[in-house]
Amino acid sequence: MNPSIALPARRISDLLSSGLGARAKSKREAMEQPKTDEDQQLVARTQSGDAAAFDQLVIKYTPRLYGLVYNMTSNHEDTNDLLQDIFSKAYKAIRGFRGKSSFYTWIHSIAVNMTLNFLKKRGRRFHLSLDDVDASIQNDKEFLELTATSSPVREADLSELQRRLNEAMMKLSDEHRAVVTMFHIQGMPHSEISKILRVSEGTVRSRLFYANRQLQNYLDEFRKNPVG
Amino acid sequence: MDEFNDNEIGKLLRLKRYEQPPPGYFENFLHEFHRRQRDELLREPLWRILLERTQDFIFRLDVRSLTSYPAAIAAVLVCAAVISLKIYQEPGTANVAALQSGPALSTAVNADGEWTLASPATTRIFRAQPLRSLNESADTHRAAIPPRYVLDSVPVSYESTFKF
Repeated sequence: MNPSIALPARRISDLLSSGLGARAKSKREAMEQPKTDEDQQLVARTQSGDAAAFDQLVIKYTPRLYGLVYNMTSNHEDTNDLLQDIFSKAYKAIRGFRGKSSFYTWIHSIAVNMTLNFLKKRGRRFHLSLDDVDASIQNDKEFLELTATSSPVREADLSELQRRLNEAMMKLSDEHRAVVTMFHIQGMPHSEISKILRVSEGTVRSRLFYANRQLQNYLDEFRKNPVG
Repeated sequence: MDEFNDNEIGKLLRLKRYEQPPPGYFENFLHEFHRRQRDELLREPLWRILLERTQDFIFRLDVRSLTSYPAAIAAVLVCAAVISLKIYQEPGTANVAALQSGPALSTAVNADGEWTLASPATTRIFRAQPLRSLNESADTHRAAIPPRYVLDSVPVSYESTFKF
């Protein structure tokens, strides 16, 4: 069991009945694409030498990019290093940013490409170093639905569920994992993913289809034996 | 429910959003970013820093008109490169070689017969070579041409002078 998982191995049903925690923040709202005109102003100021404007972009995009990189690497330390490198590269390259795409797409492209390159170098030498699961998960509507309808999810504890999901994700190829992360976890539309990866929407849909089939197979064992 | 369908897989994966870094991570991220940038700057070679500063300067000036004269820019760059190469050559090496090979006259040329920027105080040094060797002086008297002697502006030779 990974020591970084802070939540005790409690049954999800126990968590639900305990009624802990404040009202969950809407994660979907946080994942929405930021306003591009505001980004354009910040980019223009950065290009004219205002480093504080780039700081604002860093603050704005760190949580989003953290989620993207973390779910592709399943390792907190790697994610932290990569994120630093991504913003450093973006700062150096921002003079050349001409606004043909939005800053959102541009910075995500840098993040995905650098993470894919990193994963190729890392190969299979890695260990899961997972973040804590936020306690507000118990108020998530989808989580409530899953625990109500899916017996494996109801019977598993949170850390076991987290471990199974991450292991299943890491069995996907890097490219498939990138698509799954952006679509399922970050809630991006196919068109945005295709721009970021510079592939057609058909390719995105195809990758997503095969990744879902693979995940179904990997999680089938979890369905049969939810408590591991 | 027998197996996870696409919708359920999507819902399960969306739960991964709740995996969050330690508290305060995002607040400290910017400080860490600044610290790493400073460290990186200290490790960078001087020429790269100068290059970046120059690029910044040019970008801020918005010297777009220059881009319509690529040949001029290329010429300036080539000149700058040549001058910088000359400046960074080891100063005085060529001059020392010239001095060691023999006596020098005061007007100066370096060993290659070129100007040097090594030191502003350096004067041109003549290539140290004898003014004329014996063989060369002998060559001036060609066998086919009889010798001519001039005394007090009056030509004296074996040839008969033309007289009116």
